[in-house]
Amino acid sequence: MVILMAMEDELLESLKKKPVTLRFPYERARPEDRMQAKVTWEIEKCIGCNLCVKVCPSNAIKLIGRGRKAEIRYHVGRCLFCGECVDVCPTKAIQTTKEFELAFTKPEEMILEFRR
Amino acid sequence: MVQRELMAILEVFFFPGFLFLFSLAFFIEWFDRKLVAKFQNRYGPLYVGPKGILQPIADFLKLLSKEDITPAMADKVPFALIPLLMLTFSMTPLFCIPITGSSALISFEGDLIVVMFIMTLTALLSFLGAWVSTNRFSTIGGVRTGLQMFGYEVPLNIVMIGPAIGAGSLSISGIVEWQSRGVWFIMTQILGFAVFSLCLLAHLQRVPFDIPEAETEIVAGWLVEFSGKKLALIRLAKNFELVLAASLMVSLYLGGPTGTLLPNPLTFLIKLVFCTFILSNLRALFARYRIDQFLAAAWKYLIPLALLQISLVEVSLW
Amino acid sequence: MVKAIDIPFGPQHPALEEPINFTFEVEEERVVDVKIRLGYIHRGIEKLAENRTYHQNVYLVERICGICSFAHTTCYTQAVEELLGVDIPERAKYIRTIFCEMERIQNHYLWLGFTAKAMGFETLFMYTWRDREAMLEVLEMISGKRVNYGMNTIGGVRRDITGKMVERMEERLNYLEERANYYKKVCTKERSILKRTVGVGMLEPSDALNLCAVGPTLRASGIPQDVRADEPYAAYGEIPFRVVTYDGCDVASRILVRIDEIIESVKMIRRALDGMPQGPIRVKVPKNVPKGEAVSLVEAPRGEDLHYLRSDGSDRPARLKVRAPTLANLPSLRKMLKGVNIADIPIVIAGIDPCLACMERVILVDTKSKKGQAWSGEELWRYANEWYRES
Ligand code: SF4
Ligand code: SF4
Repeated sequence: MVILMAMEDELLESLKKKPVTLRFPYERARPEDRMQAKVTWEIEKCIGCNLCVKVCPSNAIKLIGRGRKAEIRYHVGRCLFCGECVDVCPTKAIQTTKEFELAFTKPEEMILEFRR
Repeated sequence: MVQRELMAILEVFFFPGFLFLFSLAFFIEWFDRKLVAKFQNRYGPLYVGPKGILQPIADFLKLLSKEDITPAMADKVPFALIPLLMLTFSMTPLFCIPITGSSALISFEGDLIVVMFIMTLTALLSFLGAWVSTNRFSTIGGVRTGLQMFGYEVPLNIVMIGPAIGAGSLSISGIVEWQSRGVWFIMTQILGFAVFSLCLLAHLQRVPFDIPEAETEIVAGWLVEFSGKKLALIRLAKNFELVLAASLMVSLYLGGPTGTLLPNPLTFLIKLVFCTFILSNLRALFARYRIDQFLAAAWKYLIPLALLQISLVEVSLW
Repeated sequence: MVKAIDIPFGPQHPALEEPINFTFEVEEERVVDVKIRLGYIHRGIEKLAENRTYHQNVYLVERICGICSFAHTTCYTQAVEELLGVDIPERAKYIRTIFCEMERIQNHYLWLGFTAKAMGFETLFMYTWRDREAMLEVLEMISGKRVNYGMNTIGGVRRDITGKMVERMEERLNYLEERANYYKKVCTKERSILKRTVGVGMLEPSDALNLCAVGPTLRASGIPQDVRADEPYAAYGEIPFRVVTYDGCDVASRILVRIDEIIESVKMIRRALDGMPQGPIRVKVPKNVPKGEAVSLVEAPRGEDLHYLRSDGSDRPARLKVRAPTLANLPSLRKMLKGVNIADIPIVIAGIDPCLACMERVILVDTKSKKGQAWSGEELWRYANEWYRES
C-alpha cells in the first residue's frame, strides 16, 4: 500500500516534544565516565622511562633530559586522546582530564611543557 | 481633504502598507523556519530577539553587507535589475489583498487577473535570472523553472478562477466581500483548495517541488550566482511570495479578514499563520520529486482535478 | 537528437561529502557514460604505516575512515594476530562483534539520513541523525569516544562492557529497533520516496557479480554474500544471524537492505550480550612480528574490507595494503549511473554509501607524455627518500 504523507503522525508528534538539539555553549551533555581528553602529567612522579614517548601513536610526547630530571613536552594539537600513554606509564604519572574544548589562538600555545 | 490624503499616505507607508508588509514578510519567514525546525525536532532560529524572531532581519542585514559578485560572463544590467524586479513584482500584488476590511488598498474589477499575471512574471523572472547569470547549474535550474511553470501555472490559474465564478467577481476584494456573508469557499470548493495549495508549493519552489533549486542536485539552481545584496533582495522577494501565497489562500478560500469576532487585521493574521502552517507542514513532509514526475503528475492529476472543480462550481450555479 | 554534452560533477559539489570527480556524458536528460576520477584526497596512509610500529598503526588505521573505523582496526589487528599466532580471549571476540554491529547500526542510520538529504527529504535526514545519536551515546559510554573508539588493540580490546552498561544498551537498542521499523514503514509507503528510488540505479545480479560489488550494494541485488557468514571472524561463528537480501536491484532495495540490517544487528547484539563469556579481554603480545604475510577480511558496514600485511620480522610492517569497500563498488557505480536521469545522480551515488577518503588511490602521470606509470616498491621507496632529503 502506498500512502501519501507517511510521516505526518511523527511530525505532529514532534510539535509537542522539546527539541533534542543541545544549545551547546549554554547547555552541555554530561561527560561520560570513560571520556578521555587532554592528558596531564604529574611530573614529580615521572621517572623518565620513555615508555609513553614510544607508545604514543602520534608522536605527541617529547622527553627533555633524562631519568628523574626529565621534563615532558606535550603537543596537544597532535594528541589523539587515545590514552595509551596513561595505560603504559609505570608510575601513573599521567592522567586524562575531561577537558576537550582545546582551541588555541597561536600554535605555540598548543605545546604544553611540564617542568619540575 | 488634507486629512484624507494624510490617511492615504499613512495607509500606504505604514498600515497596511510597506512597513506592515515588510514586518509581515520577516515574521512569516521566521514562523516558517521555526515551524519546520519544530517539525524536525530542532530549535530553529533561537538567539536573535525573543525566540529568534529577529533572525530573518539579521540574516537580511548580514547578506546586505556581504560581497556582491557579478560573474564576468553575466549580462550585467539584467543581472542587477532582476532582484529589484523580483522584489517589486512579489510585493505589488499584496496591495490588492484586503487586510483591514473587505476592500484592499488597490482594488478594481479584474485585479485577480493582474495578480495571476504578476505571479507568472516572477516565475519568468527567475528563469531570466538563471539565463543571464550564465552558469551551468543556474541554466539547468532556469530550464527547470520554466518547465515547472508549464506544470503548475495552468491548474493554479484555473482554481483561482473557481472562487471568482462563485462570487461573480474578478476582484479579490469582491470575492472577500461575497464570503463575508457567511459561506467560505473552502467549504464548497475543498478540492480547489487542495489543488491550490499544491500549485502554490510549486510556485514557491519549496519541497517537494524545489526542483529548480535542488541543492544536492544543482547546488542552488537558478540562484547560484546571486550574492550579497542581490541575494538578500531575492530572499526577501521569496518571503513576500510566501506571504502572498498564504494571503491568497486566506482571501480566496478562507473569507479574508472577516468572519470572526476579532478585529479584522487580527483575523487576517490568524488565518495567514494557519495557511503558512499548512504550507510549512507540506514542506517538511516529502522528498523532492523529479521534474518529469512533477510534470506528469501536474497534467495527469492537478489539471483534471482543477477542471472538475470548475465544472462543479458551474453546475452548482445553474 | 541532441549531441551528448559533458557535465562535470565534483570535486566540489554539495551532494558529495568528499571530493571525487565524475564526468557525465549526457544525452538529453539521460546519462550515457561516466568517467570517474579519483585522487583528490590521497593521504598516503599505507606508506605512513611502514614508518610506525604495529601498535601505533592501530590508531593510524583507525583513522582511515571516520565511520567504519572499528572495521578497519578489526581487520588490521586480525592480520597482525594471525602473523603473531596469538588467539585472543573469547570475551574480546564478543566485544569486537558487538562493536562491529553497533558501528553498522550507526553507519546505516547515518547513510539513511544522507540518502534522504540527497533526495531532498530534509525531515527524514534530521530524524535519522537524531536517532543515530542513541547509538553514538552507547559507543561513547563504552569506549569513551564517539567516532574513533580506540577500542581495538593487538591481542584483544582495551575496554570491557560492564553490567550497568548492558542495561543502558538494552534500552537504547529497543529504541533503535523501534525506530528502524518505523523508517522501514516510511520507506516502503511514502509515495515521494518510492517515486525517487524504485527502479533507479539498477544493478542486475549478474553485473553485480561480474563487477565485484560488495556489501549492501551486492545484497540489494539479491546475492547473499557476507563475510560474516562466509568466513566468520571474531564471534560471528557462534552468533546466528540472517544475511539480508532484497532483489529489487535498485536504490529502494539498498535502503531496505540497510534498514533490515539495522534490525538484524540489534538482534545480534542482544544475542552476543546474552552469550558473552567472562574472562580477560586482552593478551600481551610481543613487539616484533615474525616474518610472513597475512590477509584479513572484515564485513565493514559498507561491504567487504580487506587488509594485507607483510612483515619482515621487525616491529614495523613492511607493507600494509588496504582495500576499502567503496573501491570495490566503484565499477558497479559506473554501471548503475549509465542510463539514469540527471536528477537521480546524487541518489544513485549515495546508494553505494561512498566513503572516498578510505579508498583513495593515486596514479603518477607524466605531464609531458600524458602517460600513467606503475611504480615498483623500490622505485617508490627511492622517490620517497629523495623527496624527504630534498625538503
Ligand atoms: S593520549 Fe595518545 S596521542 Fe595523546 S599523548 Fe597520550 S599516547 Fe599520545
Ligand atoms: S611513561 Fe610515565 S614515567 Fe615513563 S616517561 Fe612517560 S610519564 Fe615518565
